[in-house]
Amino acid sequence: MTPSLGSLRSCFEGAVPSAIATCGADGMPNVTYVSQVHYVDEHHVALSYQFFNKTRDNVLDNGRATVQVVDPDAAGHYRLYLQYLRTETEGPLFENMKAKLAAIASHTGMSKVFRLLGSDIYRVQRIEVVPGNLPSQSPLRDNLLSGLRACLADMALSADLAHLLDATLAGLESRWNIRHSLLLMFDPDRCCLYTVASRGYDRSGVGSEICLGEGIIGVAAREQTPIRIGHAVQEYRYGEAARRSFARSGADQVLDTEIPFPGLPDAGSQLAVPLVLGRRLLGVLYVESTQEKRFSYDDEDALVVLAGQLAQQIELLSLATENPAERPGSKGVGAIRPVVRGAAVAVRFFAHNHSLFVDNEYLIKGVAGAIAWKLLREHAASGRTEFTNRELRLDASLQLPDVTENLEARLILLQRRLAERCPAIAIHKTGRGRFRLDISRPLQLEAATAG
Amino acid sequence: MTAILTDPPLLDTSRAAFLLEPVAINVASHDAGFTPSIARAHGCRISADRRQVTLFLSVLRSRVLLRDLRAGAPIAAVFARPINHRSMQLKAPVAEIVPLSPGDEQLMAAYAEAFAAELSGLGDGENFSRAMVMAVGDEAVAVTFTPTRMFEQTPGPAAGQPLESGT
Repeated sequence: MTPSLGSLRSCFEGAVPSAIATCGADGMPNVTYVSQVHYVDEHHVALSYQFFNKTRDNVLDNGRATVQVVDPDAAGHYRLYLQYLRTETEGPLFENMKAKLAAIASHTGMSKVFRLLGSDIYRVQRIEVVPGNLPSQSPLRDNLLSGLRACLADMALSADLAHLLDATLAGLESRWNIRHSLLLMFDPDRCCLYTVASRGYDRSGVGSEICLGEGIIGVAAREQTPIRIGHAVQEYRYGEAARRSFARSGADQVLDTEIPFPGLPDAGSQLAVPLVLGRRLLGVLYVESTQEKRFSYDDEDALVVLAGQLAQQIELLSLATENPAERPGSKGVGAIRPVVRGAAVAVRFFAHNHSLFVDNEYLIKGVAGAIAWKLLREHAASGRTEFTNRELRLDASLQLPDVTENLEARLILLQRRLAERCPAIAIHKTGRGRFRLDISRPLQLEAATAG
Repeated sequence: MTAILTDPPLLDTSRAAFLLEPVAINVASHDAGFTPSIARAHGCRISADRRQVTLFLSVLRSRVLLRDLRAGAPIAAVFARPINHRSMQLKAPVAEIVPLSPGDEQLMAAYAEAFAAELSGLGDGENFSRAMVMAVGDEAVAVTFTPTRMFEQTPGPAAGQPLESGT
């Protein structure tokens, strides 16, 4: 029986080089290796085009290629008879293959040699199973579908966004043994992604940022395509990406307002999956491991399904907070006011980038910084502590980008940064679309001038 | 392109020695409609004058390629060392398919052992390494050709450059 192309995906992981045979106009065959065979769909593969060489010359001449691939488990050989269709030089498929090629190049010490010029797309005319293959003995591994089902069930129980984000990352660990994960939300105004939740790192990194197009996370977001890398690769390390992007940004965003990215310094495997609704980017789910080739095509499939569900739920929960629930009763557990005592906390606000410093330590900037400043000023003026998402949305001074702006995610970011850096100021959810500001030390507010 | 016997052989001693290292060998040809055929070889032997290269192929696993070669189509073979990616391609306008000679099975066994050791040294599992060089045994045939063209094939911009004898 002819196997489906999808069932051969493990052959395309790059563990064993794939050999490609073509034929010149003069009838002379050519045989060499192709860096990357990429599964596009059940009837198409894409091959990496890096140099104009004999293979490419032949393919452009008569369109035919035969690729022999090997499964990395039992070394089963398969031949794909291909017909060339077209070359893509930009877009999701191209970026995906470019990231993978960078990983292969880095792994094989050929970073300077390998550069993707194009993704050559072929129709798979026929698959031949080389006779005499040994039976595959795939090592036992966790069942992805049952893990997915359990993760989705955990997520469905979440009544608010903060819980949803944490439940998702906890589920990845308990159901799939994915121990290092991050969730980043997209800020369309500043074209960057900011971390709202993380799991498995020494420091949470909440509030750290990645520019669109930078590193594996930024490219996955920009192209709205999952990117999976099975080897350590310098170019796509987000630490590197973060350093580069901050180096490029303006003087107001130099190191003092940079929150270091968490993350493994020596990630062997990385997978970034965009959270999208239609064509709208909400954020990125990122997982990594010190182990090389940790994530397979199947893992990618499962995480894409998970990310789809997560995006839907983020949207639902965010919309729900626009219509606040009934005012909570005074007997609510969180209604006990903290006692204000101790030394005063100096809070300085820089209006030009909405950055907030607490006792000269950077806390937050941007929309979340503007929100924090508004809350603190209102509290100072009137002693007010109860607020709603809705009034923030309607406050023109905050300049929230538009209704698709994920205000709830900003509040989670602010809440978590405060918890980490300034516990004297705390935000507590008091109901859907409602929260309370708890201040436990005297505050000295100062609006600073830039420069 | 016909090799004249007084010309030096295309393969100098160092290149001939490379073909005998633990290299992956993939062989290609094509049918009348120019559809390429491809198969893996399980070792090789080089004539004393270095003019002839003989590859060992499984009949079972190389059916289409052997059919094309038998029909008189040209041959190409790429030799690639997994540990350093050094690669070279040989081509010839014709190849002859003949039974194994005495000693060929021993050459195939030695090749299998060396190639499996190379893969294991790169971190491939024992089962995988062994499966890659699975016993071909007495059903193998010898494919003999006189290379007339030789190309650098090590990945990089120089890949595909023709190599001359003695260069």
